[in-house]
Amino acid sequence: MAERCAIVGIGQTHHRKVREDVSFAGLLREAGQRALDDAEMTWRDIDAVVIGTAPDSFEGVMMPELYLADALGCAGKPIMRVHTAGSVGGSTAIVASHLIQSGIRKRVLTIAFEKQSEGDTTWGLSGGRSGGVGAGGYFAPHLRAYIARSKAPEYVGWMVAVKDRLNALKNPYAHLKVPDITLEKVRDSPMVWEPVRRLESCPASDGACAMVLTDEAGGDRAPHKPAWVHGTAIRSELGQFPGRDPVNPKGGQDCAADVFAQAGITNPRKDVDVVEMYVPFSWYEPMWLENLGFAEEGGGWKLTEDGVTEIGGDLPVNCSGGVLSSNPIGASGMLRFAEAALQVRGQAGEHQVDGARTGVGHAYGGASQFFAMWVVRDTKP
Amino acid sequence: MELLYRRSLGPVVGAFLTALREQRLLGSRTAEGRVICPPLEYDPDSGDAVDDLVEVGSAGVVTGWSWVAEPRAKHPLPHPFAWALVQLDGADTSMVHALDAGSLDAVRTGMRVQVRWAPERTGHITDIACFEPEAS
Repeated sequence: MAERCAIVGIGQTHHRKVREDVSFAGLLREAGQRALDDAEMTWRDIDAVVIGTAPDSFEGVMMPELYLADALGCAGKPIMRVHTAGSVGGSTAIVASHLIQSGIRKRVLTIAFEKQSEGDTTWGLSGGRSGGVGAGGYFAPHLRAYIARSKAPEYVGWMVAVKDRLNALKNPYAHLKVPDITLEKVRDSPMVWEPVRRLESCPASDGACAMVLTDEAGGDRAPHKPAWVHGTAIRSELGQFPGRDPVNPKGGQDCAADVFAQAGITNPRKDVDVVEMYVPFSWYEPMWLENLGFAEEGGGWKLTEDGVTEIGGDLPVNCSGGVLSSNPIGASGMLRFAEAALQVRGQAGEHQVDGARTGVGHAYGGASQFFAMWVVRDTKP
Repeated sequence: MELLYRRSLGPVVGAFLTALREQRLLGSRTAEGRVICPPLEYDPDSGDAVDDLVEVGSAGVVTGWSWVAEPRAKHPLPHPFAWALVQLDGADTSMVHALDAGSLDAVRTGMRVQVRWAPERTGHITDIACFEPEAS
């Protein structure tokens, strides 16, 4: 049997539009130090480091892992870097968990980060040319197709935005805070990419997220209650091929089915207490609810409409405010994984879901083609 | 051709470059007392944060070099020069920069060199125009 993997330390930066006061290394160190403090460890206690960030073209630092090795205390220790576009924060955590589960390492520090202010993401996405459509322009047709198929009312997108923005007010680390958010305010905000309005889209953030993962002995010794990894799954598919359905991608379906089977989850809607999903544009909440099996195809938006995904609902989604509120791209996936773990550790503060014992973290990236998920619980597998 | 990247240098490398404007050279001193120049934010040996900035000399010793017989347009000097590793007085590490020594014969490891400051300084590494043999 694989070694058990415990999450014993979690840290993140206060996500902001610009962090001019810190270097790349300083940003990673800030999150890393918080995770180490939570685990009551030092940089010297770590056996290996796994980092992740979005494609190098976003910030123009080629292979930042080389320069960051010294700054992350990796002299004489293994460091590796993971690449899976927007889902990278999730994939990075999974790679770190596999180093533990394989028995190769006992204490692994994993950090994901982005300093969007140092580059231009739309420019980077279009291969260094101006005039690209950006992520929103690329995904908007998928959202329109979802609305057309599911006959979801337009206000469902606004509801997701209001919910996540209200949740962000309860998260001290969240970037975008709109205290007076209302459905009307979302409705009246400018249309950016039909059907996405400005308040239905994510900000560009600088930020980092870190976790300390250990083997079972480390989890047993942890100073604060650990979360335990019950399943991890990654799936990828080509960005374009005949018959591909980018609204409900097969890669996402398979990823969810795999991770739920590993965790013994047969009815995700019932068996899962809290979900952190990668929702950079409001309509992805109902779309991923269906893609991951929390709702029947065409029924995801009804969960949102019925308030099921609110804190206090039956299946709270993105209690942290989600990607809609903070989007340091490379870190956004790990934030989902870390927030799910915080919930089952009972450490989510004001956005804590009472009695959360099973949490799901989800990330997607590229052209809706890379998927990463984990299931965490407050008990050992 | 476009280049849309910016850099935030942080409190250590940022302070080093800012001090160049005033013709001062800063290194970072580790817990063990090693002085790293140009400074690093984190001790590469221990991984500890290094925020103790100390001033080092503007002259030092060449610890290694390579001759550039045919400079290119983007090189800092229009005539033949050396890329040199210079360990400044008071520092335990070396920085790479151009050395304007006149001829290949004039360069040797262990020679003393000093900073030639740029007349206009803006907080960039080019505020050090180059190194030159120390005036005797």
